[in-house]
Amino acid sequence: MKENIVIIGGGIAGLEAAAQLLSLGYKPIIIEKSDHLGGHVAEWNCLFPDMTPARDIVSSLAARSADANIFLNTEISFVNKLKDSYNIMLSNGISIITKIILVTTGFSVFDAAKKEEYGYGVYDQVITNRDLEHWFNTGEDKRVNDCGMNAVGFVHCVGSRDEKARNPQCSKVCCITAVKQAIELKQKFPDAMVYCFYMDLRMFGKKYEDFYISAQRDYGVRFIRGRVSEVSENIDGRVIVKAEDTLSGKPVKVTLDLLVLMAGMVCSPDSTRVANMARLPVDSDGFLKSEDNVADIISSPKEGVFYAGACTGPKTVPETLAEARAAALKVHLYIKGLE
Amino acid sequence: MRERFLTGYNDFVLPFVCGMIFVLAYCIIGMTRIILQLPAQDRKRFFISLVTPKTFFKNVKDIFLKCLIHVDLWKRNKLLGYMHSSIAFGWFMLILVGHIEVFLYTSNLGAKALYYPIFFRYFVAETESTMKGSLIFFLMDFFLLVVLSGIALAIIKRVRSRLFGMRRTTNPSFLDLVGLYSLWAIFPLRLLAESFTADISGGSFLTKSLNYVFTEFLSNHANMLPAWWAYSCALGIFFFVLPFSRYMHIPTEILLIPLRNAGIRIVNARKGLAKAQVYSCPSCGLCIDACPMVVLKGNIRDTTVYLNRQIRRNNEARIEEISDKCLLCGKCTAVCPVGVEGDKLRIAQRSVRKYSYSPDYSNISAEKEAMMCNKFVTAPNNEVSSADNEKVLYFAGCMTALTPVIRKTTESVLEKAGVEYEIMDKDGGLCCGRPLLMAGRQDQARQLVEKNTEIIMASGADTLLLSCPICYRIFRENYTLPGIEVIHHTEYFERLVLSGRLRMRRDNTKYVYHDPCELGRGCGVYEQPRNVIASAGVLVEAARNRKESICCGGSLGSLTLGFDKRKAMTENAISNLMAGSPDRIVTACPLCMSTFSRYSDRPVEDIAQVVDRTSEAGKL
Repeated sequence: MKENIVIIGGGIAGLEAAAQLLSLGYKPIIIEKSDHLGGHVAEWNCLFPDMTPARDIVSSLAARSADANIFLNTEISFVNKLKDSYNIMLSNGISIITKIILVTTGFSVFDAAKKEEYGYGVYDQVITNRDLEHWFNTGEDKRVNDCGMNAVGFVHCVGSRDEKARNPQCSKVCCITAVKQAIELKQKFPDAMVYCFYMDLRMFGKKYEDFYISAQRDYGVRFIRGRVSEVSENIDGRVIVKAEDTLSGKPVKVTLDLLVLMAGMVCSPDSTRVANMARLPVDSDGFLKSEDNVADIISSPKEGVFYAGACTGPKTVPETLAEARAAALKVHLYIKGLE
Repeated sequence: MRERFLTGYNDFVLPFVCGMIFVLAYCIIGMTRIILQLPAQDRKRFFISLVTPKTFFKNVKDIFLKCLIHVDLWKRNKLLGYMHSSIAFGWFMLILVGHIEVFLYTSNLGAKALYYPIFFRYFVAETESTMKGSLIFFLMDFFLLVVLSGIALAIIKRVRSRLFGMRRTTNPSFLDLVGLYSLWAIFPLRLLAESFTADISGGSFLTKSLNYVFTEFLSNHANMLPAWWAYSCALGIFFFVLPFSRYMHIPTEILLIPLRNAGIRIVNARKGLAKAQVYSCPSCGLCIDACPMVVLKGNIRDTTVYLNRQIRRNNEARIEEISDKCLLCGKCTAVCPVGVEGDKLRIAQRSVRKYSYSPDYSNISAEKEAMMCNKFVTAPNNEVSSADNEKVLYFAGCMTALTPVIRKTTESVLEKAGVEYEIMDKDGGLCCGRPLLMAGRQDQARQLVEKNTEIIMASGADTLLLSCPICYRIFRENYTLPGIEVIHHTEYFERLVLSGRLRMRRDNTKYVYHDPCELGRGCGVYEQPRNVIASAGVLVEAARNRKESICCGGSLGSLTLGFDKRKAMTENAISNLMAGSPDRIVTACPLCMSTFSRYSDRPVEDIAQVVDRTSEAGKL
């Protein structure tokens, strides 16, 4: 088993694929640009719908893939196409000749400051879903007032399904993440009013609907169908949110202690960079383009290059893991085909 | 000097005479109709302006400089200017000298006055032995040469318009082509015809020389009459198609200039001034290159020149489509050499379209809004209010509410400078009315103007500060606020810096300033924002700036353009701004800011953010 396998990205997709390949007897190489494994999931606190601690998922994945060659703090300098393989030059000076590349570069969180009207970066009481998870993990965020939390709002679809923000696609996970975070906040501050401003609630996954019903019935989270039109600040630093309740057809105005923006998923700039270097096509939604979006989402149009996870579009954690396993099998069969 | 024919008449003058009479009659009727279509008070104003010495002289000057010399085109491109002024001025001088010649040398003209100045060489053999005679011969040949050089350039321009500074030109209609070819034919045919008679009636360096060179052909007088027939026919055809082609701009512009100088505005979309503007359009196509929509080739036919053509054809479906699509950036108006107001024509056109729903704002209570911002209204004996301190009422507007960073930084700057201010729409305000006006909903816009006027007048403020150029324009143009100064924040910041109330820290950041359409072309504010930015960092200019700044593509003006279409326009506008490779893009309009920040690879800011970041409180 001398064949080199390069996995670009040490998020959950990369780790799961590496673990599977290790158990098949290969010795994959993981290239990770940051100083830790686990990607976005490592920054999360709990995962829906069973409140599984994200730390457990990441640490078990890291343990299973520990035998792989892992390069942390390493980026790809360039990729050269040789006759039947690729020469990958890393930022630490190592170059790898490989016939198989597995792209698991994942997504980026939409920059909420681009939706100026929500005032992220302008008002102190406006944070994103990711900031909130960070606060759940560390308890450190000056913007979150631990003692006096009377009202909290969640804005769904920030930078998702939004042509103005250049992201027409649905990010899939934010609806259920908002439900999860709303419940978590309600658990911490039982007396606080929690509002969710949504345009659609897409509860497609296993137990999502139950989770949503429970948020309403057991926790009293208020769901308001309508997009937020503008956010302003009052004299004591609280934020005033104006929206339209499209079900009752009336304008709503609430004053909040915290506004959480559910920033969506966009293709990460690193995916685009890798795509440029390896000459991989980009789909119309900005994510990497698969051989076939129905039958073969794992294969790229290039020989020996495969995808797993959110580099081809927004995905949940179980979907990503399933794809990573499928990709590992695909790589295994491809190597068999080479021999 | 002798008459060659006793009758002084030949049948070949007929095409010319008929064409001439037709075109004169058409123009007089058309002019009368346009003047009658003006609203009564505008008509009165027009007649008064005609006899007021100041406007009279301005009219004469403008007609001479614009219609004959084409100064605007000279400023744009020398070759284009020369081409137009050589044809227009040269032809005018041929007609003028021709008439002088006729009245100098003949008497008792009668009906011959109609065609003698044009065909003088055929009917009258003049001697050049006198000083006067040879001078006139020389002048006639000289101006003919000038016109011919212009025609030669016009032919080159048809093939290579880029030499004349134009990327795209208009696609001429069939009658435009007939007019064009007959115009091109007139002067070479005149040269040919006069060359035939040069050995009989005399001529100068051009005609006489030609007569000598082609002596075999041109001295054969049997061929003379067909040449004169052809010359007259070319003139006749040109005159007959003139009212139905773009050449109608020649007579109409002479009417448009006094109308404009009288200060008349477009009221009706198709009548009066609007009609004069439409017929004044020479189809030159300068507005095609100017239009920001033209980055998408499919939009070429939605530029002002084609709007004018469709209005002349009464093609209602296309007129509505073109009018609704426009971004109303006003650049076509800014570059138009004859002064067709493409944006105002479209707004007028929108105002006649039928909307299925017309909201009524008349029942909004202004009192509640007025209560919020009446901080300045104090009892007369209150010692706190000092008379010398200005009381600024800041109207942020809807667009600024959607870009809260502008409002926040503007407030911060005002506080640093120690300005006594109050926000007019702190808790939601009324729309300024400009978007409604742009959509042609004049009644609704007027209702909002009245409500806002009531609120502002009740506030006791003496300055109305705006951070949105869209609001600023309507407050300047459509509001009457006696005793209150309306000012945009770019102008106000400049004032604060100049008076020393704000002290700026200058660094080496490179800024490019984007002129928002409504602030630049709309209100003529170009220098103040530049002065402010230059005191905060290094100011670089965009490839096209000031009057020719390119719309960001986010304009409220268009009723039908979707985001997919606007994207190309925004990207084009950003690449225009990158000419000086700036570090940051600065603008002074919330809409431009949010549009650019969607596609720009470097930070986009409002001028208030720049000032807030780089300033500190100065002396009071």
